[in-house]
Amino acid sequence: MEKSTKCFLQQLVRRTPTRMLKATLEKWDRLTPHQRQSVDFTLPKWVITQTLVTICEENGLTMKHITELEMMHVIENPNQGTWYSFQLLDPEDDAHSVELMLFKEQFKTHLRELMRNVSIKIKKHTDEAVWIRIAWGSGFSRPNHLKPTYVVHYLQSPYVFVRNLTSKLKPLLMQSLTLSTRHQAIKDANLSGPKLMAIRDLLMKQYQQSFPTNDASPLAKENQPGPIVNEQAEARASRRRMASEAFGKGAVPQLQSAVYKLETKYRDPSNRTMTERDEPFRCVVKYSSSNILESFRHCASAGIASTPVTPLLSSILLKGRNYFVITDNAPAAASQTRQADL
Amino acid sequence: MERPQTRRTPLSGGVEKRMSKSRSYRLSLRSCVSSRLGLTPGWTTRRLNSKRKAPKSQNITNQVSPDHLALLVKHEWQLSYVSPLYHFRHTQLKSYARQLSAFIAAEKQQGLAVEVGIQDSFKVSFSGVQGLAVADDDPETVLIQVHTKPVFAQQDDPLKLVWSGWLTCCNGSPEYLHSLPKDFTCLPLFGSSGAQNLTSLVKSWFQKNFDCSFGPLEINHTSLEWLVALWTNCNTETNIQNLKMLWTLPVEPPLQVTYVVEGNDAWDLWSSLQQRSEGDGGEEAGWIGIEEVTAFMQGLKNHFYRHFRLELSAGNLSQVSTSLGSAKCNGKIKVSNSRYMITTLTLLTECALLKMPV
Repeated sequence: MEKSTKCFLQQLVRRTPTRMLKATLEKWDRLTPHQRQSVDFTLPKWVITQTLVTICEENGLTMKHITELEMMHVIENPNQGTWYSFQLLDPEDDAHSVELMLFKEQFKTHLRELMRNVSIKIKKHTDEAVWIRIAWGSGFSRPNHLKPTYVVHYLQSPYVFVRNLTSKLKPLLMQSLTLSTRHQAIKDANLSGPKLMAIRDLLMKQYQQSFPTNDASPLAKENQPGPIVNEQAEARASRRRMASEAFGKGAVPQLQSAVYKLETKYRDPSNRTMTERDEPFRCVVKYSSSNILESFRHCASAGIASTPVTPLLSSILLKGRNYFVITDNAPAAASQTRQADL
Repeated sequence: MERPQTRRTPLSGGVEKRMSKSRSYRLSLRSCVSSRLGLTPGWTTRRLNSKRKAPKSQNITNQVSPDHLALLVKHEWQLSYVSPLYHFRHTQLKSYARQLSAFIAAEKQQGLAVEVGIQDSFKVSFSGVQGLAVADDDPETVLIQVHTKPVFAQQDDPLKLVWSGWLTCCNGSPEYLHSLPKDFTCLPLFGSSGAQNLTSLVKSWFQKNFDCSFGPLEINHTSLEWLVALWTNCNTETNIQNLKMLWTLPVEPPLQVTYVVEGNDAWDLWSSLQQRSEGDGGEEAGWIGIEEVTAFMQGLKNHFYRHFRLELSAGNLSQVSTSLGSAKCNGKIKVSNSRYMITTLTLLTECALLKMPV
C-alpha cells in the first residue's frame, strides 16, 4: 500500500472513536466477514490501527477505497466541524430537470476545468441528499486527502451545505455548483452550525410550524374549581401562543448559536450627547445554548422576552438564518455576507 | 491631601455611621443582626463603597519587581478571602517556606494525591512583594511559589513552577486594620493558580499555623459592574478594545448571551453619563459614584432591550472582560495590564473584607 494511503488510513482510524468505527466497518463491504471479525475492538487503538492496515494491504485496497470508508463515516456522523449553508439563485429554465447523473457529470467536469488535481467523490444518500467529497490539490501537488471538503446538496432544492472550505477555494466550488445545477448565482444563506440536520431542517422548513390565529383554541378551556380563578391565565396563554408562533411548536431544529452584529445608533431621549452622536453604537451579541430556539421559546412564554416577539429574534426560524447584521436603514433584512473564512 | 472616604448610603438619612471593630465578635454579630432588623440606628453592616476613586493608570513597574509583575499578570487567579493571620511575621518567610515544603512532603507520603511525578519533590518559596501595599496600614503582600524539583535534576536545571499564590491587602479599610488586636496581620485577599490539591494543602497549612480560615470569594454582580465601569473609564489612557459581558438567562436549556461592545463606543456612553452628573463642581472630579455605574449598565441594557426586547436583568451577569483583564462571578480574576493592578486589587480587597465573618 502506498505510504500516503497508509498514513491516511492510520489517521482516519485514530480520529474515529472505536464505537463508530465498528459500526462503519460493518457497513463497508470491502472486508470479508472473517476479516471483520478478526479485528478486536477491545484492544488499544494503535493495535486496531495496525490490524486494519494489514487487512487493507491484504485486500490490495487503494486510496479510493479508504476515502469511501471516510465518506461513509461522515455521512453517518455529520455533526462535526461547522456547516455553512448557501442558497442558489436565479434558476435557469431547465434547472428543474437536473437529475443525479447529469449533475454528477457536469459538476466533475466544471470543477476539473478550474482545478486540475482534485479528487471528487459523489454519492447519493437515502434521503435525497447528494454528498460530495472533494480533496484539493494544486497545479503541482496531488490531492490532499487529509483535509477534504464535504458538500451536501438536495437536488430540486436551492440549498447547499458546505464544510471545511478555505476562502481561496470557495470561488471554484461556487462556480462549479452554480453551473452544474443550472443556476446563475449563489449566495451565503447566513446560517451555520455544527449540526447538519438542524440547519437543514431549519432552512427547508421541516419543523412543526405554528400559524397566527385570531381565535385562541376554544377547546382548551381549563376547568378551574369554584372560586379560584387564575388571574394571569389569558396573558400566559397569549404569551405561549406568540412564543410558538415565533419559535415553532414541539421539537425544533437544534440550532446552537446566533450572532447579531449591531450597527445602529444609540437612542435615548434623556441622553442628549449620545443622541447627537452620528456614529453607530457598535456591538456584537451572540446567543448560545444547546438549543437556542427552545431557550427563546421559554424566554417568550416566561415573559423574559416581551411579546410580541421582535422580528430580530423570530427571523431565526422564519427566515432560516443565524447571522445578522443590523443597521439603521434596514433592521432585519440586512443580508450582507459574512466575512469569516469558511 | 487625601479626601476622607465618605459613605453615602442612599437609604438612610444623614446619620454618620461608625465602623469600629473593637467590640468582641459576639457583640458585632448582634449589631449586624439588629441593624438589619432596623433596631439600632448607630451601627451598620459594612457596605461596599458607594463612591470610588477613578483609577489613574499607575505605573507600578518602578515599585514592584518585574518578575513579580510578570507572574501576577500572566495567570488567572482563583480568589478566596482569609481571616486575619495570627502571629504571622514577614521576617520569617524563609522558615515558613521550609515548613510548607515539609508539610507538602509529609502529606504526599500519607497518600494525599499530588499528581506530579512520584519522584519529584517540591521547593517552596515565600517572598515579599513590595509596592502593592499602597496605604500606610497595609501589610506587605506575600507571594508563595511552589516549584517541582525532580529527584535526578542537576544543580542548574530550571525548576518548573507548578503552583503560585499570593496574600494581599490593598487599600484595606484603615478602621478595620486599626481595630485588630496587636498580633494579627490582615491579608484578606488570597489568589491561587495551579493544581487544586496543592491549593488545599497550602490553605490547610495556613489554617493550622496561623489560626485563620479561608472561604471562596465570589465576585457579585455589583462588583462586576464596578469593574465594567472602572475599566471602561480607563479607555482614554489604555484602549480597552472591547467590553465583553456574559449573561446567563435562567431558561430551559440555559441561554448564554455574550454582549460585546466596541471599546470606544462604550467609552462614549460612559462619558456622556458622567457629564450629566457633574453639576456638583470640582470636588467630585476623580470620583465615580455607584449611581453612574448603575446608569451605565442600564444604558447598555436599554440598547439591548430596544433591539431584542429581552430583559437581561432576568439573568445573571457571570463574566466581564476587556483588554485590561477579566473577572468571573465564580471568583476568577485576571489582570492583564499591570497599570490597573492596584485599582482592581483595591476593589477585591474590599470584597474580601466584606465577606469575612469576623
